Amino acid sequence: MPELEIAIPRPQRWDEPFGRMTDGDVNYLLKIEPFCRIDARTFPPTLPLRGILQGDTRIVRYEPGDLIVREGDYGHSAFLVLAGTVRVALERLSPKLLGRAERPRRTWRQAIAQLWHNSRLPEVRRRAEIKPAANGASIRHDPAEGTPRVFVQDVPQLLSTTGTARLGTGEIFGELAAMTRTPRTATVLAEGKATLLEIRWQGLRDLMRRTPAIRTHVERLYRENSLRAHLRETELLRDLPGPQLDTVVAATQFESYGNFDWYADFGAQRRREAAEQIAAEPLIAAEGDRPTGLFLIRSGFARVSQRYGHGHRTLAYIGKGHVFGLAEMAAMFDGNGDVAWQNSLRAIGYVDVLKIPADVVLQQVFPNCKLQNVKCKMQTGDKEDQSAIRNPQSVIAVGDTAAPLDSSLLDFLADHRFLNGTQTMLIDLERCTRCDDCVRACATTHDNNPRFVRQGPTHHQVMIANACMHCVDPVCMIGCPTGAIARDTDVGTVRIDDHTCIGCSTCANSCPYDAIRMVEIREPSGAIYIDEATQLPILKATKCDYCTGQLTGPACQAACPHDALVRIDMGKVEQVSAWLGR
Amino acid sequence: MVRSFWKRRIRNSGLLMVALALVWLWVRTRERNLQPVAHETGYIMIAAVFFLALYNIRKKVPFLPLGTSSTWLQWHLYVGLGSIGVFALHTGWHWPTGIFETSLFALYASTMLSGLFGLYWTRTIPGQLARVGDEVTFERIPALRRRMQWQANETVIESVAASGTTTLADFYSAQMYGFFRLPRGVKYFLRPTTSRRKSLLADMQHLQRYLSEPERKACEKLFALVRRKDELDFHGARQGLLKYWLFVHIGLTYALVLAASLHGLMATAFGGGL
Ligand code: HEM
Repeated sequence: MPELEIAIPRPQRWDEPFGRMTDGDVNYLLKIEPFCRIDARTFPPTLPLRGILQGDTRIVRYEPGDLIVREGDYGHSAFLVLAGTVRVALERLSPKLLGRAERPRRTWRQAIAQLWHNSRLPEVRRRAEIKPAANGASIRHDPAEGTPRVFVQDVPQLLSTTGTARLGTGEIFGELAAMTRTPRTATVLAEGKATLLEIRWQGLRDLMRRTPAIRTHVERLYRENSLRAHLRETELLRDLPGPQLDTVVAATQFESYGNFDWYADFGAQRRREAAEQIAAEPLIAAEGDRPTGLFLIRSGFARVSQRYGHGHRTLAYIGKGHVFGLAEMAAMFDGNGDVAWQNSLRAIGYVDVLKIPADVVLQQVFPNCKLQNVKCKMQTGDKEDQSAIRNPQSVIAVGDTAAPLDSSLLDFLADHRFLNGTQTMLIDLERCTRCDDCVRACATTHDNNPRFVRQGPTHHQVMIANACMHCVDPVCMIGCPTGAIARDTDVGTVRIDDHTCIGCSTCANSCPYDAIRMVEIREPSGAIYIDEATQLPILKATKCDYCTGQLTGPACQAACPHDALVRIDMGKVEQVSAWLGR
Repeated sequence: MVRSFWKRRIRNSGLLMVALALVWLWVRTRERNLQPVAHETGYIMIAAVFFLALYNIRKKVPFLPLGTSSTWLQWHLYVGLGSIGVFALHTGWHWPTGIFETSLFALYASTMLSGLFGLYWTRTIPGQLARVGDEVTFERIPALRRRMQWQANETVIESVAASGTTTLADFYSAQMYGFFRLPRGVKYFLRPTTSRRKSLLADMQHLQRYLSEPERKACEKLFALVRRKDELDFHGARQGLLKYWLFVHIGLTYALVLAASLHGLMATAFGGGL
């Protein structure tokens, strides 16, 4: 009889510690600010302060000129200066300096030259191209640190020409980007030798939860710097008078649901039954419960669902900038005593929400906002009002002209988390003649290397091809040691700088959609490049770059004779449904 | 911007009608004034053929901003259809006499016909593919077929070992082995039907009464495999047709371009005053 069960130790949070912290290191930290002021007794035995410091932090030493964070990096950790000084650049540094050369638009001549310059073999790189210096960036490999660093060679020259601010011992930076998983807003580099404590997101979150001082500090920064602007982006609050907005800013609560590292177990999640998948998604608001406030999605995605038979049917998915709970609030405003959530709201993967408490909405927002801006009409006793509450589309439709999509397609998109894509490749299988012109065009524009595969999950006639979707939440960017993978701040394309990529595979392993391929590279003669030290092939991460620099826009879409392929922003549901209904 | 296909179809057909009417009026006016038209319609014809053939070149340079392939195809289709009208004006629908002119006539007609067939197939087959079975890449079909054949063989061999009888195995080698081993014939390629699958499944159903328990279980697996193989054949045949017609269309195009150029040269060199 084969064994039916095998006992193994349950995986624990700190099985994979962030760094190699010794007891001595932790003892040292517990003696210095701000940790010496934290009351260790407020932490539960399962999540001790010591454990957090041991498992979620690491001490990193930097040489003069080392870049600690680059503007545009995807933040997942904060830094505390333990020794030395660091400089925060107050201006934008040249992308070249950061190891990210901009790819200029080709000229016609360069474009045509691809006809004869394209390599016959796959993944060819000329020798000069694989040296990082070819790019202007300098990469330092420090065996003691393990991970390579991009550094600035002439620090004094940089400091003399660029405005910077100095941060010294005891100061924290990067916490906002870490907590909100947003791109870093500035580049920070080590002025001289510096030692920093890097705290990964999970640790920071737990420290914030138990330590009012840290929480207040981070929240104050967010409230002061970004919240007001963020609230103003919402249609409902756009014209709210200043004093009322101040009250909203002060009362807004920050909540996050789900797993920040959702992509780590996404593969296993996806294999689960749909009902199990939904059940596992953390509830933000439960259908039938009394509404407690208005939810604004700050980042991530949430599923709006309604009970149907024995399961839950997806009505919509909402992302950054969307509002949930408006119709219920409107009904309460009309004096309807027993309002309940008409739908449930669940975190898909990870979602960060801003909650404006019900009393603030009813007393400060509704009486003062221009409701005609909002689609939901609220004349007392109006039939439309009633239908607005029943109709889920209106619940979420603030600032969005969402045309309804077939519910099963919505389920499919949400289950596979395709809603993350801003340039998702959709193929209409009822029009696609499988001619592969798209793949050929992609190869021709990428030195004969196709950067996507015309395969992928399908739902009825829609195929989501295996191409980089240039995600809203580009988890591939987390942890790239050289910042080679970065998002273009102007157009949102996620690109890999081939020169700066060191082939560590972090991005490829993180991408939940398997859209990044690690490839062995070779000389034009065909010889594979190998590492002198290990004799192993040198790898590079490759993926769709949305034809950056080409004259045509995405070649795949332009090459489709039958209008079967489109790159589409999944956040704009109305575009998807319009495309399907052509 | 997403535009509906119907709107596009109506707009483009309207434009084509107007263009053809203008050409026809112009030719008629010239004829009425006893002016020659053969050269004029010939120039239009050759320009149309060159333009139609240019689509092949456009596909080879996807990195140049020359308009999307979809726009090109629209122009291609309507100019292609319109050229039939110009061809009628040019030849007066008279079957030519000389060998060269006859070949040119035949070449044009067959390119045109292949285009029309292709258009029909490219508009109908994708939907059929989407409805039948799983999506498969054309190049992987032979490998998938081999795998299915191996699975079928294994299933039968195991049933013989488990039951000690060869009823299913005999039936398999007589009726099913070829089905699993080979792709389908030319007839199926041009017009796939489910008749082979239906008759196989019916025969297998009938065979059930003679089978032992292990053989019956194996037969269940074969049922599923027959269905899958049939779907694979369907994809192979239909995707194949979509690929091969284009080869024919392109091949004819090259021949036509060559012949039409020669015809044009000869007409201008020797027929100047006609
Ligand atoms: C003298 C007449 C014609 C010539 C010389 C011609 C030539 C061509 C060429 C060179 C291509 C590009 C093939 C490639 O490189 O992939 C093509 C494609 C095509 N042609 Fe024509 N063509 C003609 C008439 C027509 C007509 C009348 C139709 C239909 C009304 C038609 C329908 C098509 C279609 C559907 C494609 C395929 C597009 C694709 O799936 O890639 N053609 N033709």
